[in-house]
Parts: sequence; C-alpha cells; structure tokens
Amino acid sequence: MPNVLATMLLPDPNQASQPLYDDNASIWHHMSEALHESLYRVLSVLIAILPGILAFIVALIVLTLIGMAVSGLLRRGLTLAKFDEHLARGRGNADWAPTTSPSALIARASFWACVLLGLIIGVSAFDASYATAATLTNSLLPYLTRVVGAVLLLIAGTLFARFLARSVLIEAVNAHIAYARFLSLGIKWLVVVLTAAMVFDHLQIGGHVVELAFGILFGGIVLTLALAVGLGSRDLVSRSLESHAEHSSELSVAPPTTPATGPGDSIRHF
Amino acid sequence: MATADPIPDLTAPSARPSDGLLVLLAAMTPEQLEVVLVNLAAAFPAEGLLVASPDAILADSYPSLRIVAAPATHAAWTLTASDFINAYQLAEKNEARGLLMLGSESGSFGAPVLHGLANAVLNPPTDLAVPCYDLPPHAGLVNSAILYPLTRALFASRARYPLAPDLGLSLRMAERLARAAQRFTAISQGEAPLWPVNEATIAGFSIDQFDVGPRLQPQPAGPDLNTIFPLVTGALFSDIDAKAAFWQRFRPLPPASEPMPMPQQLPRDAAAEIAPMLQAFRLAYTNLQEIWSLVLPPHSLLGLKRLAATDGAAFCMSDSLWARIVYDFLLAHRLRTINRGHLLGALIPLYLAWVASHINLTAAGASTEGHIEAVAAAFEAEKTYLVSRWRWPDRFNP
Repeated sequence: MPNVLATMLLPDPNQASQPLYDDNASIWHHMSEALHESLYRVLSVLIAILPGILAFIVALIVLTLIGMAVSGLLRRGLTLAKFDEHLARGRGNADWAPTTSPSALIARASFWACVLLGLIIGVSAFDASYATAATLTNSLLPYLTRVVGAVLLLIAGTLFARFLARSVLIEAVNAHIAYARFLSLGIKWLVVVLTAAMVFDHLQIGGHVVELAFGILFGGIVLTLALAVGLGSRDLVSRSLESHAEHSSELSVAPPTTPATGPGDSIRHF
Repeated sequence: MATADPIPDLTAPSARPSDGLLVLLAAMTPEQLEVVLVNLAAAFPAEGLLVASPDAILADSYPSLRIVAAPATHAAWTLTASDFINAYQLAEKNEARGLLMLGSESGSFGAPVLHGLANAVLNPPTDLAVPCYDLPPHAGLVNSAILYPLTRALFASRARYPLAPDLGLSLRMAERLARAAQRFTAISQGEAPLWPVNEATIAGFSIDQFDVGPRLQPQPAGPDLNTIFPLVTGALFSDIDAKAAFWQRFRPLPPASEPMPMPQQLPRDAAAEIAPMLQAFRLAYTNLQEIWSLVLPPHSLLGLKRLAATDGAAFCMSDSLWARIVYDFLLAHRLRTINRGHLLGALIPLYLAWVASHINLTAAGASTEGHIEAVAAAFEAEKTYLVSRWRWPDRFNP
C-alpha cells in the first residue's frame, strides 16, 4: 500500500516538471518586458521633454537677466530725471500712497514683467516640445495655471485682509470702541476664510464640502461679529442717534451757535 | 520778518489805502455778510473799494463799495487751493495790486484791522500779511500742537496761525499761491489746504503778522476729528516733504514780538475734560502698539508706556517726547512705512494725549501761550534729530 501511494504521488517525469518551469519563466519574462517597456516609455518621455525643460530654464534665466538690466537702467534713468520729485509735486496730497517710491515701483514692475514674460515663453516652449505626451499636457499644464492663479489669489487676499484689519483697528480705536482688536481680528479672519474658500474653489479641491464648510464658517463669523457689535455697541449707536436727532432739531430750530454745556465743549481742535 | 505788529490806529489814513485793493470774501451767511460789508464800508468810506463775493449782494446798500461776483465756493473753514486760484484770477482781471481774503465769520474785524492788513499788502515790502488771533485758551489746538511748532521749527517763521482763514496778499504772492494751487486743482483736489507761510518763506517773500484781536474761528462742517485731522496733517507733511531741500538748512528765527495780552483763564475742571481723551489714549495704547512700534523708536514707546500708567491729574507729556513723536510720524509719512491713512489715524490718540497734557498744565496754572511757545521751542531743539533721520533713515529702524 505505501508503495502504491508513493507511486501515485510521484510526478510523471514526462508531463509535470516541464510546464511548471515554463510558466515561471514566462511570468518573469513578461514582468521584465513590462518593466523595460515602462522604463523605455518614461525615459522616452523624459528625453522628449528634456529640451522643453532646458528651454524653460534658459528662457527664465535670460529674461530674468534682461529684467535686472532693464530695472537697473530704469531706476537710474528715473533717479536722474528726478521722476519721484516731479510726481510728488504733480500729485499733491493723493490718498494713494505706495510703500515704495514710484521710480522703485516702476523698476520693480519692469523686472517682474520680464520674469513673467520669461515664464510664458518657457511654458510655451515646454508645451511645444511636450506636445507628443497629450495626456499630461491636457491635465498638468492647465492645472499649473490654476495653481499660479490660486497663489496670486492667496497673496492678494492676505494683503487685503491685513490692510482691512489695520483700517478697522485704527477706526475702531478712534471711535473709542473697547473691543477694537476683536473686531479687527474678526474682519481679518472673515477675509482670510473667504480667500481660502476661493483658492480651494479655484483649485477644484473639496467641491461641495468646501462650499458647505465655508458657508458655515463665514456665517458663524458674521453672526458672532453681529452679536458682538450689536450687544456691545448699543450705547454707541444710541448716542449717535441721539446726537443726530439733536443736530437735526438744532438746524431747524436753534441759532447756529450754541453755548458750551458741559466738559469738553470748550475744546476746539480747529 | 516782523511779527505781531500791533494794528496802528488809522483813523485818518494819509492816502487812499483801497486803491488797487481787492477784498475777496468767502461764502457766508447773509447775517455775517452784512456785518462784514458794513465794516468794510466804514473802513474805506467813499473810496470805491472793490469787493468780490460768491453771495448775492444788493450793491445799492453799500454805495462806497464796488461789488463784483466771485466764483461760487464751498463754505470752507479754511482757504483752499481753488480759493487761491479764484483770488489771483479776480485780481488780474480787476488789475488789483493787493488782495485781502476774509474767511467766514470775519465780522469781528474792525476798521483798524482792515486798514492795517490792506496797507501791509499794498505797500512794499510785505507780501504776506497773516493775522494773529486772540482765541480762547483751548481753541485751535491742532494748530498749537502741530501746525505752528512745525512751521516755526522748519520754516523759521513765527506766524502763529499758518492755516488762517484770513490773509493779505501782494499780487506776486497771490500769483505764486495760484501756481502752487494749480497742482492740486489739476488732479481734482481743489479743496486741499495750502500753506502760504511755507510758500512765502521758500520764495523769500516778506511776511508780516498782525494782532487782529478775538475772532470766532470757522469750524469744519463735520465735527469728526478723525476725518479732518489726517487731512490737515497729511497736507502739511506732504508740503514739508516737497520742501525738504529748503528747511534742512539752518535759518535763524526772527525775534519774538511783545506777547499778546491773554484772556484770564477761569478755573476749570480739568479732570472731567481730559477723562475721555485719556480713555482714548489708553485704549489706543493697548491696541495700536503694533502700529506705533513700526514708527516710533523704543525710547518714545517707553515714554508712552510710562504715560499710559500715569493718573489723570499727573498726566503730562514732555514737550520733547511730543516733538519726537511728530517728527517720527513725519518721517514715516515720507518713507511710507505704513499706509499714510493708517499712519495719520494712529497719530490721533497721541494728539489727544498731548491735548490732555496741555489742559492739565494750564489748569495747574501754566500760561497757555507759554506752554505752546515751549512746545515750539522743543520742536526747534529736536530739529537736528529730524534732519539726521531724514538724511540717513536707514541708520535707525524701529
């Protein structure tokens, strides 16, 4: 019996051993082929885009250098022509006042315009050399432009939030509002949240979840501010309304000058 | 420059002082206008004085006056760029040799005052006649805190009211001011204030100051200090910036004239008056540190810290601290350290702190005019600090 079983379990040397060895070899062969083909494809793509990348880098470097030269020349020329002084004389007391001088602003703008031009030329060269890989071109490059747009949105939103927060803080302090900082922070976060939502929307990240979250957050901040201002400024609003009513009645009934009635009335700033 | 000349009593003028004189009146109420015209008719009887007014006047009521129409202007509390252009055009058209510009509520000027101002601008060498008013102790505080000390320290002029609503101008002074005003009207800023004293000093024209007695100062239409203060200080800071090449050189100040007799001050409840100002300053101190630290050096911030911790009765801002604060804000305005609207808004609580300190000092017995002169002297003493930082702003960054 044991002999019979042993005989049954023994593989047939003519049938079993050969096909097993052939299958293993075929899998390795296929894997190897697939890997080689993949590597070949990736290398082909890299070789195809390499000139594009080089063109992009060269365009960017060349235009940056040109930008630096143009900026330097403009700065020197405008300084020699006393452009800032002429502009200051002609502009009077304009409310708009940048943090840098106009000539520096023009020089800087010309530099960044050249850099931007280099970027456009580079991307265009990259796009032309990469036209063969249609799938990536169709998805990656438009998304890159979206990313650039989102970054610009983020920068603009952050700057606007800071400007608005500072304006509100100073105005609120000068209006003697005790919670001026809280109000300023609220406004700042309101703009930051709005900017973040716009950025995510621009990048097409999150979809409806972001919209919903933004709606809840924005509404929450507005409600908080409304409650804070409404409850905290009751006295201020009532005082303002009372003084407005008094002023109206004075205009219609009383003579234009009224005697001093209390402390502070004799103080005239002008 | 002679200063604060008392108006001579010209009951019988030797010549016809109104020959070649044009009096330009600001827009005012009919009651005020009537008083001013009566005063003018009394001051220049039977001389055919030329008067221009934007308001309608019945010429038959004042036979001694030749009345012409002036372009309509807004009833402003001070003279603006458009006013100077209108004044020069009218003077040229009517071949006037001198101009007398009278602001609203100028009915308090009697014949001697009007004669004195007219004589000054019609007879060389005076090109600019500025009035020196006798105001109540706590009136014109922005002028006392900033405008007068800055003008005196930087332009070496003792004109006590650089932004006066009344002026006497020679024709060449009017022309210069009109040319300066055109820069503002060209960019639709006709309502911007001009600085005649600074212009006259730059041009090397002669300035005379006259005591004109008490006057009800016209006030801005809106009572909002937060709107008017940045407008006025911003205009002065811009003018100083434009004339930097002039004031950086040392110029001797003309000798002081006899001080005017000041009205006796009644005892006041200073604590009640300054309480809201101190509250505003302390609120600003807790909230605007971040902005002030961009503009002010640590020494000034330390001074403000000590001030914020001081009780109402002992609250006193030193004159040198105030002078340095104003100079630092002037520099930040020039360097555009932060947005100019924000910068001037952040100066308001500090100005209120100065006002509180000034009221405290005068309530304690100090002379109002004496303190204002001390502040102006502190501005002069600290001018070297301004000039060095103006020339080398990178040497120090707060």
